[in-house]
Amino acid sequence: MAVPLKQPETKEQRSAASSLAQWTRKVGAALGGPILAVLFALIAGAIVILITWPDKTVDPFRNIYNAYTTLFTGSFGSPTKISNTLVVVTPLIFTSLSVAIAFRAGLFNIGAAGQLAVGAMTADVIGLTYTSWPSWLLVPTMLLASILAGAVWGGIVGFLKAWRGAHEVVTTIMLNWIAFYVTDYLISSPRFTAPLGVGETNALPDNATLPPMVNYINQFFGTQLNPFLYRVDISILFALIAIVIYWFITSRTTFGYEIRVIGQNPKAAHYAGIPIKRNTFLVMAIAGAFSGLAGAVSLMGQEITLSLTGFSQSTTGFDAIAVALLGRTTAIGVLISSLFFGGLRSGTTDMQAIAHIDPNLVLIIEALVLFFIAAEFLPVLRRAMPGWVQWSRRPTLVPTASVTPGTDVTENGNGDAQNRVEISDLDKEE
Amino acid sequence: MFFQVLFKGLISSNTWYATLQFAGLLILPALGGVISERSGVVNIAMEGMMLTGAFASVMITLAMHNIGLPDFLSVILGVLGAILAGGLMALIHALVSINFKANQIISGIAINIIALGLTSYLVFILTPSGQGVPSLPGNLRLPTFPWGPLASIPFLGLALFQQNVIFYLALLILFGAQFLLFRTNIGLRIRAVGEHPQAADTAGVNVRLLRYMCVISSGLLSGLAGAYLALGVSGIFLDNMTNGRGFIALAAVIFGKYTAIGAAIACLIFGLGNGLSFALQDLNLGSLLNTLPYVFTLIALVGLVGRTTPPAADGIPYEPGSE
Repeated sequence: MAVPLKQPETKEQRSAASSLAQWTRKVGAALGGPILAVLFALIAGAIVILITWPDKTVDPFRNIYNAYTTLFTGSFGSPTKISNTLVVVTPLIFTSLSVAIAFRAGLFNIGAAGQLAVGAMTADVIGLTYTSWPSWLLVPTMLLASILAGAVWGGIVGFLKAWRGAHEVVTTIMLNWIAFYVTDYLISSPRFTAPLGVGETNALPDNATLPPMVNYINQFFGTQLNPFLYRVDISILFALIAIVIYWFITSRTTFGYEIRVIGQNPKAAHYAGIPIKRNTFLVMAIAGAFSGLAGAVSLMGQEITLSLTGFSQSTTGFDAIAVALLGRTTAIGVLISSLFFGGLRSGTTDMQAIAHIDPNLVLIIEALVLFFIAAEFLPVLRRAMPGWVQWSRRPTLVPTASVTPGTDVTENGNGDAQNRVEISDLDKEE
Repeated sequence: MFFQVLFKGLISSNTWYATLQFAGLLILPALGGVISERSGVVNIAMEGMMLTGAFASVMITLAMHNIGLPDFLSVILGVLGAILAGGLMALIHALVSINFKANQIISGIAINIIALGLTSYLVFILTPSGQGVPSLPGNLRLPTFPWGPLASIPFLGLALFQQNVIFYLALLILFGAQFLLFRTNIGLRIRAVGEHPQAADTAGVNVRLLRYMCVISSGLLSGLAGAYLALGVSGIFLDNMTNGRGFIALAAVIFGKYTAIGAAIACLIFGLGNGLSFALQDLNLGSLLNTLPYVFTLIALVGLVGRTTPPAADGIPYEPGSE
């Protein structure tokens, strides 16, 4: 089947004005869809408030205004609030990168939550076992172990997909719950659980924790910031580094190129001699590593203890999918959209206290964002728009939900042909 | 030691009561999953539909009771409301994945999230000062089916004849669904739509309509299971009370190789794992037993106990005119 080739234009052929116009179009193309999805979700959220009218002391429209302003000021309104938001954002960045890199290879990583649980538990077990180790040895060991544990948990998915053809959505869901129950078992086992039966592990010793950012800021600038007010720990720096690493892997390495080809056209990848099986395994292992690290940093930087059913009740895995899709699986997109979703999460405290709105409104908004992205209703809208606001003609990076053995070609909403091939079937053609 | 405890668990009628109860809860969403996937629409949203059903059943029952309707009528309306609420969630999934040709997995995840968010949000709005839903009194719960003297048979009585009314309804639906899917004309059409929609379309089958009906019935069944859970088993609504049961049902669908009877057997096996967990407490296995359904399913997926393959067109939106 023909792969449409776009002839690269040389710089000389383009005038300055047209390259600027092209750049604007490109930016518009990248941002248009996500921004509209968020906008529609926020409007729909406003309608929910309008109908339910939680705060009867003000009129419903005032209630909506209060909700969204407190949501914003509660997350980015002051340095302390920003610090609290960054606390939420840090693990979200890691898990979103995990989901995003799998998306690049056309794989659906629903297993971020399970990989996170396994990573956190491994770090916890090491931190509570080798309490006598010095910090400089213990902390890196815990972080590396969590990366490794997550990579194994994700690697299993990649292995089963590549060599046995088991669909990754199903295996990740199964592995999630296995991870939740195994961690629950360990958390409640007498070796790690805190006395008095509160369903929590013992607190990590100080030498197994990550220090707050302000310790370094105070040292460096001579300020007197209180680490209890500014809770964000140094793992936010790790998260930023992870974003750079993600950008490097996906857009500056052969591996990144290969997984993108696999994601968009497995058959082409096969005929180009790209090792599909090895790369499928690797990409899931890397995805798991990101998520495993997310678990370790939120344990070592913030939580200090793990609590029973904590992993299965948390929505981190879903949040990560929303962030990765909203950010269109680009590095900068993941950063921006995890700030957005992290802000929504941390703003709920104020929204509840001041506007009297239940924090679960944020879950509703998140689901609506997903619907609007998934439905790809934008092509429908686009046709109704005048030419100058036209956006993305690119096919989205969302992998096809195929569990199909065999090959077939369908069209997605943008009119681009997508090829669907199961990796395990490629062997048979040889 | 292990086998002693296991044996003791297996001969206790409590174990089998719990096993069948758990299996009964799972079989309804699992059947929904089978029907939906057979028609070619991936459904990982049974969890959310079940949660919505549980919420609606409790809320409607309480509301009907409060406006003075007789108890049994309130409960019946609650169950009907639950079925409708589950169906409504499924309607969204159908609309998004059949009409908008959305990615069905993302849509399923979104349904699960919105069910979790919306039910918790509405509990906060609808209960006085948002302190949660009160536990239902016995007369507002779903009763056990009156089998009369059968219920007092030793051993079998507790396990088989003291279950909730919905349990027996679920059994009827189970055999009905198996018959419908594999012995009737419409079942043949459903499977054709899931395997090769283009061919089915050529033969005059309305692909979209059939898929709509299948997805919606998966919601109706999941909603009914939610009512069973909330009004029959727990007697209360709690945030996220389904706690992964919808995903176990999904596991049962796959483990049962996309057939109604297969899914039912899977539910029984998974239910036994749950039923035994009480008896095996002495072994300190704790929540490890709960991993069994998922481990079994993984093994089945890997192909150690017969590979399980989904319908050929599962997850692919239908485009008239495409090859």
